Amino acid sequence: MTSLTGYAAVSMILFSLGAIGVVSRRNVFIIYMSIELMLNGINLFLVTFARYHFNMDGQILSIMVIAIAAAEAAIFLSVIILLFKTKKSLDTNVFTELKQETE
Amino acid sequence: MIDFVFLALSFFAVGGGVAMLINNNPIYCALGLLISVLSVAGLFALLSATFMFMVQIIVYAGAIMTIILFILMFLNIKEEDLPHEPKKNILITMGVILMIPINLLILEGVARLPDSDMSIVEEGFGGIKELGMKLYTEWLLPFELISILLLVALIGAVVLAKKREKRGTSYD
Amino acid sequence: MHTPYLIWIILIPLLGALLNAGFYIYHIKFKKLPEKLFAIIGTVTPFIAFLFTLNLFFKLNDGSENFEQFLFQWLDVDNLSIEMKLLGDKLAIFMAMFVTFVGWLIHIYAVGYMKGDDGFGKFFAYFNLFLASMLILVLADNPVILFIGWEGVGVCSYLLISFHYTDGDNVMAGNKAFIVNRVGDLGFILGVITLFFALDKTGISFGDMQANISIASNDLLILSGFLLFVGAMGKSAQVPLYVWLPDAMAGPTPISALIHAATMVTAGIYMVARFHFLYSSVEEIGLFIAYIGAISAVFAAIIATRQQDIKKILAYSTMSQLGYMFIGVGLGFYSSGLFHVFTHAFFKAMLFMGAGGVILALHHEQNIFKMAQHRKRLPIISATFLIGVIAISGIPPFSGFFSKDAILAAAFQQGEYLIWGVGMFTAFLTAFYMFRLYFVVFVAPNGHEKEYSYTDKTITFPLMILAVGAIFAGFLNFPAIFGGSAFVDTWLAELNSVKLHMSHATEYALMFASIAVAVAGIYVAYKKYANYDVYKPESEEGLIANKFYVDEVYDKLFVQSIKRLSRYFDETVDTKYIDGTLMLACKGFISFGKKLAIIQNANVRYYAFYMLAGISATSMYIYITLIGQ
Repeated sequence: MTSLTGYAAVSMILFSLGAIGVVSRRNVFIIYMSIELMLNGINLFLVTFARYHFNMDGQILSIMVIAIAAAEAAIFLSVIILLFKTKKSLDTNVFTELKQETE
Repeated sequence: MIDFVFLALSFFAVGGGVAMLINNNPIYCALGLLISVLSVAGLFALLSATFMFMVQIIVYAGAIMTIILFILMFLNIKEEDLPHEPKKNILITMGVILMIPINLLILEGVARLPDSDMSIVEEGFGGIKELGMKLYTEWLLPFELISILLLVALIGAVVLAKKREKRGTSYD
Repeated sequence: MHTPYLIWIILIPLLGALLNAGFYIYHIKFKKLPEKLFAIIGTVTPFIAFLFTLNLFFKLNDGSENFEQFLFQWLDVDNLSIEMKLLGDKLAIFMAMFVTFVGWLIHIYAVGYMKGDDGFGKFFAYFNLFLASMLILVLADNPVILFIGWEGVGVCSYLLISFHYTDGDNVMAGNKAFIVNRVGDLGFILGVITLFFALDKTGISFGDMQANISIASNDLLILSGFLLFVGAMGKSAQVPLYVWLPDAMAGPTPISALIHAATMVTAGIYMVARFHFLYSSVEEIGLFIAYIGAISAVFAAIIATRQQDIKKILAYSTMSQLGYMFIGVGLGFYSSGLFHVFTHAFFKAMLFMGAGGVILALHHEQNIFKMAQHRKRLPIISATFLIGVIAISGIPPFSGFFSKDAILAAAFQQGEYLIWGVGMFTAFLTAFYMFRLYFVVFVAPNGHEKEYSYTDKTITFPLMILAVGAIFAGFLNFPAIFGGSAFVDTWLAELNSVKLHMSHATEYALMFASIAVAVAGIYVAYKKYANYDVYKPESEEGLIANKFYVDEVYDKLFVQSIKRLSRYFDETVDTKYIDGTLMLACKGFISFGKKLAIIQNANVRYYAFYMLAGISATSMYIYITLIGQ
């Protein structure tokens, strides 16, 4: 089981769960957490291939991804706070300022 | 033995993800995510990436999940504030259907790669020394850029959190 | 043999038309020009054309070959080679001669008749154009060129009938003439096409067709002969396409005289004569033509007995005489039919011009029961009118007798006793209604006292010349039994498919019969109308007086249904179907676009969903191809 295919399967499942979460949930928090889950899945993939090829580059990329996830967390959550303050709601369907009215 | 560990960690990872997907209460979702992140850290360890294992726990589980939980509690979300999600199950099903082809494709591609040894390596791979060697020689430029990115994020967070003067425009 | 003169016969009147048109435009836009200018251009050109024709006539008479003039190649596609070529053989020159001569006289007449009219110059431009078209028709070497002239005279007829276009009735009459003619034209075109293909595409000029006539199958010849005759029915006002001719009297009288008496209506007979090689090979069609001619003759004569408008009486009499001509050519006696065309041109034109003189003198009164006793006051017109009436009734030695009698004798000889009988009856009616006209207008006492206008010399001069022709033209074809030269018969002998040969006794008997019938008609008219009290007009009731209601029937059958059809197309098909379908396409696009616009609902999650869907589909596709390898 601990073969390449096994690790790939796990990482793809995590990624899929994250993608499904982004698409189907309306709560803005949960969307964010799904994004983080996707990133995790990709990290697992990278490290798997680093081990597969016996090359450290994959792990370095993985570190970078974690760093970016951290930065993103800071910004994302600040924005959520601002949105909650103005719209008083955590529903993404409410944030439709980009829409153009049809006749 | 290793297989059993692998299976258990995978189970927890996926289970945490599913829990995160299904729950209505964001706190439960955050806890699910936490479990998933920790399991992924264990999987890193199985892959001889010892440094990654540590970084994942410290940064991801320790910092990012903490700040998520902190914001959740800070916003003081009550039951009424949560949005209604009547079509959640249908959408999840549709999402599953959508993701299947992508998974199939990737797994098919991976399966065609030649087999190789994935056992744990004792020394010489995945440790701090090797990581540092690569990071500060080959990957120096990306390293610097990442630090600038973190700086930008820091400044951005501070700016966004500042109190805004009323400009007379209403948001509703 | 080649001659360069034929084209000038056509070009000179055409040039006159263009000059008059140009001057007329100048006249209405810039400065007024004197009427004399238009008159001189308008009358000199036909005379010059006549001189040319006369010259060619003398040459032909001296035994020269037929004249030809090749102008240019019009079309040369595959087997179809149409040349712009003019042919001046005996038939063409014969027609051209009296067309130009009578045309010239009527142009002179028109100077006096149209005096003071605003469109004086325009009139002469149209008139010359008409003459040019008629000459193209007559001098054509192939049916296509003939058709150019055919259409040209149709157009000019339309233009001239509705000359006073401010009155809506005139325009409707012009429309009627053109449209009914069009029906005939369709038949003509189809006939020419059928004939061309029946002859296996060997050639389209008359000479070629005549040489190759034996190639064609009998059925196709019958079909094309019939279709060509449909054209003649329209142009020469035979049953059933005659309805335009009485209405065409709405045009000024010179038009009626030239176009609808002497020239355009004879184009149909000319055309049949031109296609004599066709009609000689299929005798059934010839018989059909003769019967149509007989029917038209008697039909028109019956209607004419109850008409009250002077010009309409003359119009129906034209139709009746045209019927006689068709009897002649239908039975194969082309020279007799054409001779009747010739004499008819003279006396009918004269009758029309006389009627015009009367109308002018009485300030445009046209109802015969409102005219006074003119014999004393309009002596010249009265005298010439009498001559014309006697001629048309067929009293010897005036010209009408010789031509009409030749046709009736031909019918008798061929064994067509029914046609002969109808012809006799029609002769009786002709004498009756023509003398009715004469007596009521010129003789009957205690008429209305109406004011008179002075009659111009330009009106009386042509009348006198034509009177001479009406009297003496008969001698051009003096029958052989009287020791005459039968000039026209020999001139056109090559056309005839049968010759007139009967015993002298029969011929004398027939002549006597025709004279008797005509005198009977005059007697009846005299009894009834010589002392007619014109304050009691005839009733307008009854089948005959209403022209057998043919116009009403045509209106119901054709005009109303076509109007309804076009209204249907305009309202339903155009707005509902065509517009509807197009609007459906437009609205379909709009609603489809609206439906598509729902996708862009500013909800970012949906965008992510769509992205994911796209990626999923692509990976599905790649997966399947990957599996396949």
